[in-house]
Amino acid sequence: MRTPISYFLVVSAMLFSIGTIGVLVRKNALVIFMSVELQLNAVNLALVSFSRMHNNLNGQVLAFFSMVVAAAEVVVGLAIIVTVYRRRQSASVDDATVLRG
Amino acid sequence: MPLDQVVFWVFAPISVGSAIAMLLQRNAVHAALFLVVNFFTIAVFYLVLGASFLFAVQIIVYAGAIMVLFLFVIMLLGVDRDESLVERLRGQRVLGIALGVGIALELIVAIRAGVGFATKAPADFDQVANQGGNAQALSRVLFRDYFFPFEVTSILLIVAAIAVVVLASRSRRSIARAPVEPARTEEAA
Amino acid sequence: MIDLVWLIPALPLAGSALNLVAGRRLGRRAGWVASIALGAAFVMAVLVLLDLLALGGEEREQAVELFEWIRVGSFTVDWTLRVDPLSVTMALVVTGVGALIHAYAIGYMEHDPRVGRFFAYFNLFAFFMLMLVLADNYLVLYLGWEGVGLCSYLLIGFWYARPAAASAAKKAFVTTRIGDAGMMLGVVLIWIHTGSLDFDTVFGAADGLSNAVATAISLLLLAGAVGKSAQLPLHVWLPDAMEGPTPVSALIHAATMVTAGVYLVVRSHALFEASDVALTVVLVIGLVTGLYAALASIGQFDIKRALAYSTMSQIGFMFFSAGMGFYAGAMLLLVCHAFYKALLFLTAGNVLHGLEDETDMRRMGGLRSDLPVSTVWFAIGALALAGIPPLAGFFAKDHIVSFAATSGREVAWVLASVGAFVSALYIARPLFLAFFGERRNERHAHEASWAMNAPLAVLAFLAVVGGLVLGLTAEGGRLATFLEPVLGVPEHGEAFASEATLVAISIALAVAAVGIAFWVWASGRVNWQAFPERQPELAGWLANAFYVNALYAWLVQHPGKGFGRSLTVVDDGVIDGAVNGVGAEVEHASRLAPRIQRGFVRSYALAFLLGAVALLLFLAVRL
Repeated sequence: MRTPISYFLVVSAMLFSIGTIGVLVRKNALVIFMSVELQLNAVNLALVSFSRMHNNLNGQVLAFFSMVVAAAEVVVGLAIIVTVYRRRQSASVDDATVLRG
Repeated sequence: MPLDQVVFWVFAPISVGSAIAMLLQRNAVHAALFLVVNFFTIAVFYLVLGASFLFAVQIIVYAGAIMVLFLFVIMLLGVDRDESLVERLRGQRVLGIALGVGIALELIVAIRAGVGFATKAPADFDQVANQGGNAQALSRVLFRDYFFPFEVTSILLIVAAIAVVVLASRSRRSIARAPVEPARTEEAA
Repeated sequence: MIDLVWLIPALPLAGSALNLVAGRRLGRRAGWVASIALGAAFVMAVLVLLDLLALGGEEREQAVELFEWIRVGSFTVDWTLRVDPLSVTMALVVTGVGALIHAYAIGYMEHDPRVGRFFAYFNLFAFFMLMLVLADNYLVLYLGWEGVGLCSYLLIGFWYARPAAASAAKKAFVTTRIGDAGMMLGVVLIWIHTGSLDFDTVFGAADGLSNAVATAISLLLLAGAVGKSAQLPLHVWLPDAMEGPTPVSALIHAATMVTAGVYLVVRSHALFEASDVALTVVLVIGLVTGLYAALASIGQFDIKRALAYSTMSQIGFMFFSAGMGFYAGAMLLLVCHAFYKALLFLTAGNVLHGLEDETDMRRMGGLRSDLPVSTVWFAIGALALAGIPPLAGFFAKDHIVSFAATSGREVAWVLASVGAFVSALYIARPLFLAFFGERRNERHAHEASWAMNAPLAVLAFLAVVGGLVLGLTAEGGRLATFLEPVLGVPEHGEAFASEATLVAISIALAVAAVGIAFWVWASGRVNWQAFPERQPELAGWLANAFYVNALYAWLVQHPGKGFGRSLTVVDDGVIDGAVNGVGAEVEHASRLAPRIQRGFVRSYALAFLLGAVALLLFLAVRL
């Protein structure tokens, strides 16, 4: 493989930042959630790249675990969104401001 | 130009572009579809990086199961209408984008300092780490060194499943107490 | 079987746990659960004893290690149970007498709504007591020591709705705590100077201790023993402790817990012998308490308080014996005392049961006709305590008194003989006051059920034959021979009079005392009821146990209250002022917070990211 490892890492960093911006600027809870998934995937990409660089599979195993955890997290997160939506009839995070000081 | 570089330079712009496109979609369904594209490109990167098992998992779990779940919830809630783009929080958008770009730059600096832009991966990855095939080698590591964490994740999944049942099921009491829901005007519209 | 010794404490613990969890559901069956648990523990103890007897004399000290408890640096403490003649003797008394009292309590507590709770505490007490006697190091012993104190507190205050019971429980706990604090310091000193808390190591190192260190350790341990065994000057809690249910008084405040102090002294005799004054202190405390409590008992009209002072006096005799270095005598008295004092207390329980909780002997009298069975039990117990041969108390007391003579302590012998005489007098008094003489209560008492009398029959049997079996041989009795590997052989020489003369004097004193008691309190020829009017001074001193309580109140309570009042001023002004001031400032400052906390999750995320970017920037600059 001739592509330098850092290229993948840079793509990963860009995807992570785009996900971050998505969390900050979007209001729809579902889209925010998708942005979080994008961040997770960016990190997974970095992990797999490091695995390739260090010539062992620990990074891939960690990415695998992160996928499992992400799957669990998506399920619970979506259930929370559904519950909040039922109560407020809105999926916008700006409408859920009960915990203000 | 070797094949892996061709693949990288074809899919990297698609990956970043689909991510940005996801951000710009006002409609949640469209955003989800762009995210699927992005997940596919990441799967391709996994293949290039010698992680063929994760390639399959990425497509089946992320692009398949998780995104279907997202779309399902979008349809269930009926929020497939366009999001208002009016920003009520002053400075949120500008600051958010600035900080996002900032963290990207910082990460790239970190990559340069820690890995170096020109560092190439070892060539004997398929002989050393992936000996006998990626899936076989991965399962050796997983079930030998990481067996206990692996079992723990199974508990995590069960707990998550139970949590969802609890969260999503409406108890009889809460139905009795819940106010009559307003009519779904957006469905009528 | 010796390896299974852990079952002895584990069974009552399991019974206690079961009764705590399911006591309400078990209802009246709770008592059976507790009694069977302790009875099974007794069977285990007997099996262990048989195994021990099969071993040779030198091998009769076994340690059964269960698991490691604490390991910090060089400090290690294990859960190790000690199986040797001394611990097995104590375990047999605790489980045997304990099981009988449990069985009695089934009937006694029948109508109490919280019977499950009662038996849970009762079994828990047995567990802690067994840990105390089976411990192989001072920390496990201390654990059991504090545990029995806790259970004593819980059970004295079992009827906590009565203010008297609640305050008696507090008094018992606080008073024994004074001694326990000393004991804890003693345990710490032991560790500092011997580097271990295990009995074998500590006793092995005892000879190497300097006299001052050994004295300090012994006296601190003695402080704990004095508190727990209600000896002067920490004795004030025991009479008040009679507010607890009568089986509690019998088990905890007569047969077992209060004798733990004696056990501690006997167990630690190597430490006490390493000091040249500690044993003398033990002797003096024991003798003074023995006489003091015996006199105080004569002044009591509450039957249970009279018995409580009697217990105190008897334990004084045990301390006296241990103080002379005659540990086997102390243990013999301990065992026999457990038999007859449990019998006396439970019989008193029968009386209370029959007379609807009347405890004042001035309103009893002539109960012989109503309670014939109980009269027999009380007579056996009282005569055993009085030292009428061949009942148990005779042997136990006679050994101790004659040892004083044969070891060349003539003064102690005279005082001990006086004590024995007064003992016979004070214990014959409730017998004649309550059961003989003219009736002073019109109420018709009813005899207790067979379920309550059956354990009493066993105890009465033990009180009759216990001394014969354990104390009657030339070499000081079977118990002494059995305990020899642990306690050694006491030195003694020739007395100033022959053995037979001493025994004759002792019997004569006991018989005379009982005779006088009959003449005064039962024959009707002496107007004992007029005694307080004729001798108000003396009667007052006796009835109030020489006003020690009042003295303590004057010494401790009033300064304490004054100190408390002055603290209130400081508390209101300085501490509360500071606290309220801080609160007001925080409240003021917190009004600013909501301006940032607007509840928009995205602005929180932005702040979060700002921190992350700043942190990365900081790291980048550092690099």
